[in-house]
Amino acid sequence: MKTLYTPEIATVTKVVPQTAQETFFEIELSERKTLGHKPGQFVEVSVFGVGEAPISVSSAPAPDNPTFELCVRKVGNVTNALLGMKPGYKVGIRGPFGNGFEVEDFKGKDILFMAAGLGVVPLRSLILEVLNNRKNYGKVTILYGCKTPKEFLFKEEVKAWESRGDVDLHTTVDLGDETWTGNVGVITTLIPKAEIDPAKTQAVIVGPPIVYRFAVKELKARRIPDENIWMSLERKMKCGVGKCGHCQMNQIYVCQDGPVFNYAKVKDIPEAI
Amino acid sequence: MKSYAVKKSDLGKWIDGLIERNEVAAPLKHGNSTDFDLIRSAKEIVWGGPQTVAPPKKYFFLQFEDILSLQPNKIEGLNASAPKTIIGIHPCDLNAVYLMDQVFAEKNRDENYLEKRKKAVLIGVDCLKPCAPESICLRMGGLDPRGRFDLFLTDIVASFFVEVGTPKGEALIREIGRESTAAEAKKLAAVRKKRDQLFNKEQKKLLPKLKELPKLMGKSQNHPEWAARGEKCYSCGSCNAVCPTCYCFDVQDYMHVNLAKGVRQRFWDGCMLDDFAKVASGENFRENRSERLRHRTYRKLHYLFEKWGESYCTGCGRCVKACLTNIVSPLEIANTLFGKGKK
Repeated sequence: MKTLYTPEIATVTKVVPQTAQETFFEIELSERKTLGHKPGQFVEVSVFGVGEAPISVSSAPAPDNPTFELCVRKVGNVTNALLGMKPGYKVGIRGPFGNGFEVEDFKGKDILFMAAGLGVVPLRSLILEVLNNRKNYGKVTILYGCKTPKEFLFKEEVKAWESRGDVDLHTTVDLGDETWTGNVGVITTLIPKAEIDPAKTQAVIVGPPIVYRFAVKELKARRIPDENIWMSLERKMKCGVGKCGHCQMNQIYVCQDGPVFNYAKVKDIPEAI
Repeated sequence: MKSYAVKKSDLGKWIDGLIERNEVAAPLKHGNSTDFDLIRSAKEIVWGGPQTVAPPKKYFFLQFEDILSLQPNKIEGLNASAPKTIIGIHPCDLNAVYLMDQVFAEKNRDENYLEKRKKAVLIGVDCLKPCAPESICLRMGGLDPRGRFDLFLTDIVASFFVEVGTPKGEALIREIGRESTAAEAKKLAAVRKKRDQLFNKEQKKLLPKLKELPKLMGKSQNHPEWAARGEKCYSCGSCNAVCPTCYCFDVQDYMHVNLAKGVRQRFWDGCMLDDFAKVASGENFRENRSERLRHRTYRKLHYLFEKWGESYCTGCGRCVKACLTNIVSPLEIANTLFGKGKK
């Protein structure tokens, strides 16, 4: 019997350790089914016998490709179990869930991406989508900050973005080490370095909950209107289908109406930011 | 639909007949209270007793339900069964089941609830005196079942007056009932009128108008009452556990010790519990007890009320009775917010 809570069986096809905490996975659905996700959506990943956890999809939409990518930090039971997986292992997938980003909101516009820490994982799905269709967009700026240099994800890929010549990329760390010669300071300290035309710019922020309030303040100081600021909010999620209640903030089920929100629409929701 | 009348002496025999055919649940004596359980004879039913410990939602949205069978190379959805007939449901709980029907059927249909619900026959019984000092059903709109049953019995002294809500219910009552007379309908109206007067006298008053509650809640986000009550809250989740319209759940996998098979189980969760909104990284999106009390109250009187057009508190009074520190009553909270809001 297939119910709302029955996962599709999928196979781990690639495992690439990224940092001490995070690992990259490529997952393939059975029978060459495609996930059909939008950037910014998430899936519920099952490690059978351990449990299920919501994980952001990190790859760009790929209508013909039965694989998709996740990048997982070990923080709980399911993510710790995932980290023990090797190619060939089976997992369960439900989804994709959530609203995701609408690329139409960004076409023809300058885009300012702000990825704080693990926020780069969901944001990468949108960054890749934009870079894959680069001509459809104006100026692209990527600000990427981590606590320490060891925590940067997708290092080679980020270098490639920087060397494309059509992306303005700035990185920073909260705390440098002997190898670090770049910017030091929280991610909002990069905002003054970015060239921003407030009338044309859509800003997209993804990071831990603490980041939003400060990032929005800086973006507003650069005169970016509220309705041009986008964010993906984290919440506890169990079901992904708007029933279990964990992700609710005021009236809103983040798993259904989010996780992507326009700042103008959530700024007056008391429990949002 | 037509209404029927049933001789009191016939009712027990008819219920015993139902038991022979299918599983039947009804309120049974449970310590000083009652609780729904399977019955072997109609004689066991406690009619008009105190509110059952758990609401009848427990038959459709189980406290613990295996939703997935886990075996190597075989993952299968599971759906438990429910008793066929549930007898003796109070009007507040009939309304609550209706409200649960809405949320589980909305958008992503939850067949684990809906399949069980679809197969069940609900036979309600009218309350002619308040079932507990905590009940506030008349105030919260829960006393009138509004046709949300298969059959609904009211004791009109000489017989039971039986209202029919569905063709399924009608087919059943034809087995023993005859169509009601005009005199019986008049008697029913008189019984109800007397009952309403009694409830109006005995139940605590709701100061704001019921339909104004969503608006009142909306402007009370920062009211000091939340902190005043919240600081007394034990975060025990008792109010969630007994509520007929709480439907939050958690999910957990359990493996047999030989690891050859296991289940994924869902079970009731409660938004008043400390870690309800806490993510794995440690961030808790509703960290304070006052925020959680507000959230619970808003689910009943604001968010779902606004969305579905009626209160998601049906006034059964279970949370008021269960609350260890006497802080949770939706009616008293509404009265305080309303009182202090007035100039």
